[in-house]
Amino acid sequence: MASAASSAPSRRLSSNSGVRLRRLIDALATGVLWIMAASIICLLATFIMYLFYLGFHSLSWQFLTSAPTQSAGGGIGPEIYNSFYILVLTLIFTVPISLGAGIYLQEYARPGLFRSVVQFSAESLATVPSIVMGLFGLLIFVFYFHWGFTALGGALTLTLLNLPALVRVTQEALASVPDSLREASIGLGATKWQTIMRTVLPSAIGRLTTGIVLIAGRIFGETAALIFTAGLSVSANHPYELNPFRSAETLAIHLWYTHSESVIPDVDRVGNGSALVLLIMVLAFNIAARLAGSALTKRFTGRSS
Amino acid sequence: MSDVPKTDNRSHRQGIGEATQVVASLWFSVGKETLSVISLQAAKSHRNERIAVNVLRGAAVFVIFAIAVLIVYLAFEGTKTFSVDKFPVWKFLFSSDYDPGNNLGGSAVFITGTLLVTGFAIVVGGPFGIAVGVFLSEVAPARMAQILKPAIELLVGIPSVVYGWLGLTLLVPFLRTHTSSPSGFGLAAAGIVLSIMILPTVISLSEDAFRSLPVSLREGSMALGSTRWQMITGVLLPSASSGLTVALILGIARAIGEALAVQMVIGNSSQFPRGIFAPTASLTTEIVIDMGGAPQGSFQEHVLFSMALLLLLIAMALILLVRFALRGRG
Repeated sequence: MASAASSAPSRRLSSNSGVRLRRLIDALATGVLWIMAASIICLLATFIMYLFYLGFHSLSWQFLTSAPTQSAGGGIGPEIYNSFYILVLTLIFTVPISLGAGIYLQEYARPGLFRSVVQFSAESLATVPSIVMGLFGLLIFVFYFHWGFTALGGALTLTLLNLPALVRVTQEALASVPDSLREASIGLGATKWQTIMRTVLPSAIGRLTTGIVLIAGRIFGETAALIFTAGLSVSANHPYELNPFRSAETLAIHLWYTHSESVIPDVDRVGNGSALVLLIMVLAFNIAARLAGSALTKRFTGRSS
Repeated sequence: MSDVPKTDNRSHRQGIGEATQVVASLWFSVGKETLSVISLQAAKSHRNERIAVNVLRGAAVFVIFAIAVLIVYLAFEGTKTFSVDKFPVWKFLFSSDYDPGNNLGGSAVFITGTLLVTGFAIVVGGPFGIAVGVFLSEVAPARMAQILKPAIELLVGIPSVVYGWLGLTLLVPFLRTHTSSPSGFGLAAAGIVLSIMILPTVISLSEDAFRSLPVSLREGSMALGSTRWQMITGVLLPSASSGLTVALILGIARAIGEALAVQMVIGNSSQFPRGIFAPTASLTTEIVIDMGGAPQGSFQEHVLFSMALLLLLIAMALILLVRFALRGRG
């Protein structure tokens, strides 16, 4: 009895100091987490400001529009053109296939062997490193089809690389559409396909667009898959060609290539300018993805965001 | 006389009968027509339905086809080192004698390089990413999350060459002046660049892992009097472990496959690194540098394809690991 009575206050005292200690640790840990999160924003801000600081002086109308040269003073005009050219070509292949596969997986396929095989294939395709995909493109389009380095080969390689991401975007966008919409449409006598085309896709169009534009940004900056498929050169005589069967060095590859292999004297100027243009394009794609996504959602569903 | 009204009557009845018949037949024929129009439309939309399903299924089959052809083709091309050139597999994996001109394809240096830079990236970027994931899920007020999330998306969007360029112009000069490294290029530079590149992957996946935990876990922990930090370390971290494992594995997958950003800062010297700041090379950087100059059908080309096959096998193994980790969660 006596010992219990004497130990009770001391236990309370120790647990009080324990609480104080635990609260101190909690506050410290919370502070550290805040600092870590803030450092990510600082890191990004540093990158952006540094790239602007480096590249700002390189930017000029002449730099953006003229062709690269062996001597100093070359521009990046054809590279910017090729980046957009390959981007558009890639999207022409990627969007229909991945929309189709995504719609099939989300709306039609019943759980079973076929669906899990497709899902697993998409996941596997998503983890193939981009350089390995580039070598596969080299085997198929350059060696097997004997196309040489072509914009088309590069675009098809990028299609394989980005297909799984867009299938996933499609599936997630469709999954976000409430089932009540589908039930209402089927209840009015529409077939499944009519339901998908007139009810489900319009409701999902905002999310789909956001996903597609973000992936477009990734395609714009892709390099490793293009080195051995689209090549490292631009045509000297016809830099702005529409023909897909020609080698097409993109801006991202140009940034790597000027630094690592070529011998032009003003590597830093061209590199800094190219890096800044790439960064600005990525910012533009990100902002465009948000704006277009929310505008389309509002237009087609009347809901905001 | 009496016949007349009868006949009249009869004809009248007949008339009514004819009229009914006409109306009926008219109604019937119109009805048949609308019915046939409806059934025609139905048939058409059923046909559309069938076509749509088949086209969509075709797109899904294409995904299977693509990965199958890729695996078969790379397996065929990547094993030529061993089948055509008779170079032993164990030497490819464990020997560091790399001189493809003299039929020596020991790739141990590059395999080690890949493992070291990836290990560096995951040791630095992994805990950091998980911490920020916890922050986003448990600590961050809505306004902070609104700033942080777009920032993370932008970090994903920055192309890998731009990371390489940042490493080249910002990190390498820094390491050159502040460490023992004479050039600044090397393992540490590549590891730091990679750990920044895998951050977004680890952050968003670990945030998802924490968010998917039931609220009851947090309520139970709080009700027992624990602080938020005790709840995070004692309850949430163990419960989210399979999701966090997936986050780390996919971070590793991203780091292993990265080529150009690493190539720009690793120093590209085909020897084992003599320290954390020393230059070395990895599987991806060696492919980037040598593939362009390797003649088609040469031993060197075969060895490079074997390296690509090895990368593919590692990626596949990681995907299976992810599946395994998720199955553990039930």
